[in-house]
Amino acid sequence: MAAIETTALTKRFGEDVLAVDSVDLSVEEGEIFGFLGPNGAGKSTTINVLLDFVRPTEGTVRVLGLDAQADTDEIRRRIGVLPEGASVYDRLTGREHLRWVIETKDADDDPTALLERVGLGHDGDRPAGGYSKGMTQRLGFAMALAGDPDLLLLDEPSSGLDPTGMQEMREIIRAKADDGTTVFFSSHVLGEVEAVCDRIGIMNEGRLVATGTPDALKGDLDLGAPITLEVDAVPADLDLEAIAGVRSVAVDGTTITATCVDPSVKADVVCTVADATAVTDVLSEDVSLEELFNTYTNGGHPDAETPSEASA
Amino acid sequence: MSTLDVARKDFLDVRRAKIVWFVGALYVVFMALLVYFGQYGVSEPNVRDALWNLTAVGALFIPLIALVTAYLAIAGERESGAIKYLLSIPNSRRDVVLGKFLTRTVVVSASIAVAFLVGGALALALYPSPAMDVIAIMAALTLLYALTYVAVAIGISAATDSRSRAMGGSIAFFFVTSVLNVLGPLQLAIDYLANDLAGLEISSEQILFVQSLISPTTAYVNSTGLAFPDGFRTIPEELPWFLAGEVMVVVMLAWLVVPLALGTVWFGRADL
Repeated sequence: MAAIETTALTKRFGEDVLAVDSVDLSVEEGEIFGFLGPNGAGKSTTINVLLDFVRPTEGTVRVLGLDAQADTDEIRRRIGVLPEGASVYDRLTGREHLRWVIETKDADDDPTALLERVGLGHDGDRPAGGYSKGMTQRLGFAMALAGDPDLLLLDEPSSGLDPTGMQEMREIIRAKADDGTTVFFSSHVLGEVEAVCDRIGIMNEGRLVATGTPDALKGDLDLGAPITLEVDAVPADLDLEAIAGVRSVAVDGTTITATCVDPSVKADVVCTVADATAVTDVLSEDVSLEELFNTYTNGGHPDAETPSEASA
Repeated sequence: MSTLDVARKDFLDVRRAKIVWFVGALYVVFMALLVYFGQYGVSEPNVRDALWNLTAVGALFIPLIALVTAYLAIAGERESGAIKYLLSIPNSRRDVVLGKFLTRTVVVSASIAVAFLVGGALALALYPSPAMDVIAIMAALTLLYALTYVAVAIGISAATDSRSRAMGGSIAFFFVTSVLNVLGPLQLAIDYLANDLAGLEISSEQILFVQSLISPTTAYVNSTGLAFPDGFRTIPEELPWFLAGEVMVVVMLAWLVVPLALGTVWFGRADL
């Protein structure tokens, strides 16, 4: 059974705003799914439909096999949510927030343990109105974890967190996933998604333009494997494009960047350059998710074809 | 019961809001002053006079207490986004409307109860015949009146998505049903529309009935016939059945139920 399943999900606001355009999304049980897209791509609207904050114009939505509109009570019992940009209750302490969520969910968590888990061990008895943005986000995360949910829905979870906070949150997310919890989170921070996700989906202008594992998507796009060499001086007669498998070469001062169709060609490039001049540094990069993301959202490659579903 | 889960948390929150206790305390002070000065330097003081004056003050002041206490209950959380936490755990939207109504009711009831306890104690101490039955009936009617405005404020709060709209709606409602009503223009407007424009030729008593349908304040003022004897001050000796105190209580009950029902429906349909 899929933890999240939308079929032809469409949401219009008024006559002319098409926020989500016939999205078919499927998130399997137990996986960590990263939901990517630029601001305004329709990520939050999609999440709001999953939570019944917003009603779909067309299409069906099932969460944990239940109808997202009809079975809200049962769904809310079994999910944990970190909403985006939601303020907490200024006049309540962190501990009171957690006690309230735990009681409403009929769970038996220990608020102190949850506070410590998210790094708020010393701030639980202060009113949340005095929390920093990062602390508020940690409190929201603790509220999402209460009741050991089957599905964690995190909307831009890292916003407001410092790098340490992001690292700690990633560790908790991984630990929950190892216990069998499905994790669905949206982000525009690409590194974070690449570091933790089993699969990703990319939204752009209301459409789900790609889904698959990061590797499958990269392979599917055939972006090539870049290698960068720092040299003392670029030889005039260097003809790297003559090497079989080199797609393009760019020279900028003493920096040579060759894009190969296959990573195995990189060694040939290094050997050829090293024969001609002194190499001071070699930088071999994987295709970055950022490049992938730009391709799908037409941020970097205007001629990108409409990509199809990549096999996971 | 999720309604109670919502209410328990909301009470924890709202009882720490100072403005709510401030307006409540102000009403208690009004009550104490009116009861005290009602007998000060008067040879044969009657507690009914003090309560009558309190009705006039309360007609304008009670709606303010109720609106201030309740107008942000839902709209404020929609604007801040906290509503998303509230609805991410097993609470339905109806639970939110009813739970919020419950807590704001408790807060408003508390200040009215304290005011009448203080007023009652002062009446016992200072008046030759304290007429506790009149005080009790007035307390009940005033409470019901306050709750109609709590229901209206919750209804408006459920139907709006920001603090400013909730405030605008509440002030507009207060202005039409309370200020314009007490000062007279509401009655003149009904007279003009029904008699001059539509040519219905309805009597001034019928106008008063229409007025009480439009304004809980009119219904409250007319309902005080239940507490005071016929002919007391401006209360007429003879009233048509549709202006009887009991009918006014029914009108107020409708003002309690209808705004809550509408608010629940609106909020239930809204995209948050």
